[in-house]
Amino acid sequence: MNKELEKLLFNPVRLKILSFLFSVENASFKKLIEVSEATKGNISVQIKKLEDAGLIKVRKKFEGNYPLTLCKITSKGKTSFKVFLKSLQSYGINESTDVDFKNRI
Amino acid sequence: MNKVNQIKIINDMINEARTNLKPLSFNLVFWGIFINIMSIIHYTFPSFIQQTNYSAGIYWIFLPMIGMIYMTRWNIKKYKEMGYSTTLGRVIKIVWAVFGLGWLMISGLAFYQGINPVPDILFLLGLVSVLTGAIIKFKPIILGGIFLLIFVISLYIYPGQNALIVNIIGITLGLLIPGILLNRMKTNE
Repeated sequence: MNKELEKLLFNPVRLKILSFLFSVENASFKKLIEVSEATKGNISVQIKKLEDAGLIKVRKKFEGNYPLTLCKITSKGKTSFKVFLKSLQSYGINESTDVDFKNRI
Repeated sequence: MNKVNQIKIINDMINEARTNLKPLSFNLVFWGIFINIMSIIHYTFPSFIQQTNYSAGIYWIFLPMIGMIYMTRWNIKKYKEMGYSTTLGRVIKIVWAVFGLGWLMISGLAFYQGINPVPDILFLLGLVSVLTGAIIKFKPIILGGIFLLIFVISLYIYPGQNALIVNIIGITLGLLIPGILLNRMKTNE
């Protein structure tokens, strides 16, 4: 597996963001704060890193007078995440802790 | 962070991302009650609803349109509150949006041609219910859809039946009861 990807997803907040975005079509910044349990500042930094690596796409828009940030996984992000998961599974982790993600691909 | 922790994080996130089916159940219950109330009013006061050639058509087109506007706004608000969307959620939205369009078209054409729209609407609703139930793998909705299709067949075989009574029974079995059961379901998706 790509060392850079491994390093990128070694951070739990980044791994949470990418795993969540892998399972949904898109998610708001607010939702990502909720699921990752990270602070606003921290999550902004981690989102930027994932975006710079081309794994996610960030779209900013306004709804009424409020800004809304939507994040979406890119096809590169999906492929990378699958590679990452395969590498985790190749470590021989037993079935009970294994991820059943076949239906989501 | 070791590999087991990473797998645990991924599993937790996948569970967090499950499609929330509560809004769908609210939609089914809302329409079940709404259409039943409309049918009961029509059945109880037929002379009032059918006082002119157009009044029944207006009643069955414009009131559901108000309901559709209300539910569309409610669904948009719910989506914003949830903060994420899934492919399954989008598929359900498309299926019911197509039904809404079909409903309006059938009602409009029936109004124009002066025919009873109930069998065609129930047929479309039955198909959409079976489809929704199969997509979310929830048997009561599939069964509800099958009941609706049976009622449509019965309306064609015995055309003398009161369409409003058939409508009330069909909507109760096809929308209301499956909606309540879906709402009581503990797990989503």
